[in-house]
Amino acid sequence: MATLPNVPVPDSQLVGRMAAGEDAALGDLYDRYGKMVYALALAIVREPADAEEVVVDAFGQAWRQAASFDATRGSVGAWLATIARSRALDTIRARGRRVRAHERAALLSDEGLAAPIAAAGSDPARGVERTEARRLVSQALAALPGPQRAAIELAYFEGLSQSEIAERLAEPLGTVKTRIRSGMEKLRGLLGPLLEGAA
Amino acid sequence: MTAHEWQEQAAPYALGILSSEERRAFEDHLAGCDACRADVRAYTEVAAALAHAAPTAEPPGALRDRVLAEARRVRPIGAGARTAPRVALPWLAAAALLLAVGGAVATWRLTTRVHDLERDLAARDSVHAADSAALVLLTGPGVNVVSLAATNRAPSARIVWNHALNRFVVFAFDLPAAPAGRTYQLWAIAKGHAPLSMGTFNTDAQGHARVVLTVDREIAALAFVDNCGLTEEPSGGSPQPTETPRLLGAWTRSD
Repeated sequence: MATLPNVPVPDSQLVGRMAAGEDAALGDLYDRYGKMVYALALAIVREPADAEEVVVDAFGQAWRQAASFDATRGSVGAWLATIARSRALDTIRARGRRVRAHERAALLSDEGLAAPIAAAGSDPARGVERTEARRLVSQALAALPGPQRAAIELAYFEGLSQSEIAERLAEPLGTVKTRIRSGMEKLRGLLGPLLEGAA
Repeated sequence: MTAHEWQEQAAPYALGILSSEERRAFEDHLAGCDACRADVRAYTEVAAALAHAAPTAEPPGALRDRVLAEARRVRPIGAGARTAPRVALPWLAAAALLLAVGGAVATWRLTTRVHDLERDLAARDSVHAADSAALVLLTGPGVNVVSLAATNRAPSARIVWNHALNRFVVFAFDLPAAPAGRTYQLWAIAKGHAPLSMGTFNTDAQGHARVVLTVDREIAALAFVDNCGLTEEPSGGSPQPTETPRLLGAWTRSD
């Protein structure tokens, strides 16, 4: 990890200032997480215009509900990602169509992840942290057996239920459940350093 | 289920991929199980970290301004009501109060909804603070209520108008989320006036919404608002409704 020349205001403090109605704090939060939230939204909804809508909705929800953020229950990043994913999944559900599995597989292939990670190295301090997070997460996902990884990606990026995943992959439901559970257990172990850093 | 079997539900629960029955059963279990709650917390972080697996993408520069402009339209829940007493009434007591002011409503239906909301609350501790702020809005003198319904159709909404705190609290049920690029908009309809926008919102994947809107000055200035209507409009809302209200109801007076 890089050493930070100026110790930044902790995320949770920004959220506290948002709860008090200070919109500059929301701007700061956007500067830290806007890119991550946009990338997540775009990966789920696929259309840039819809992704922008999701970003506006997600930060809007974070702004309105800032007082309900509880740092003991998780990191600000996880809170924002959870909100954004949920808004993005609402969008594709409302749209009534979902991205096909093979497109998704191509999007999330190793090449698809490796290039942007390599290219993101020159960011300032915050970017370095984000890049580090991306590196850890992609390494952890790459360490999973392919079928576990595929099932988890379908769950996370498409919001498919376990039975929908089973149907999509033409696998028994029990097999899919086991894959998701085992994969998540492994990720929990592999991502330990990142998650502790976030808490 | 054995303790072990329950624990197996934590990861899929955190990913939001349990069926609704499984989810409800697990949430009932969570209320009394520290170990499973800890697992859910951990797996929620794991799931959120997966956001970093999305391919990088550069948001357009103007998006930051849109985010801030949207925020300037609404106050964070609780931010404007710091001097109000924080009343931690249980949901059922709040519901009873709603019934008292709301007049003749289907009790069983509301009770069912209250149970749904309670379950929601148990599962999502993170929204508790917002809920206590919402309770402040639901209680106290000078509260009007409107129930919106469509003829012979399932969607419905209930709106509480807290005059003292100048807020609308909107609950919507079985209202399918407006499609991408669209939103729901509420209208205050007073005799002799063009409809005034009360604000916009959308429902979640379950067709539920619970939002707090600030009462516009123009609406607050009206002597009496007769009706309330709901329309679907382009994102951001319209100056005037562009369709016949899908849901309509009459405000009841509480005082």
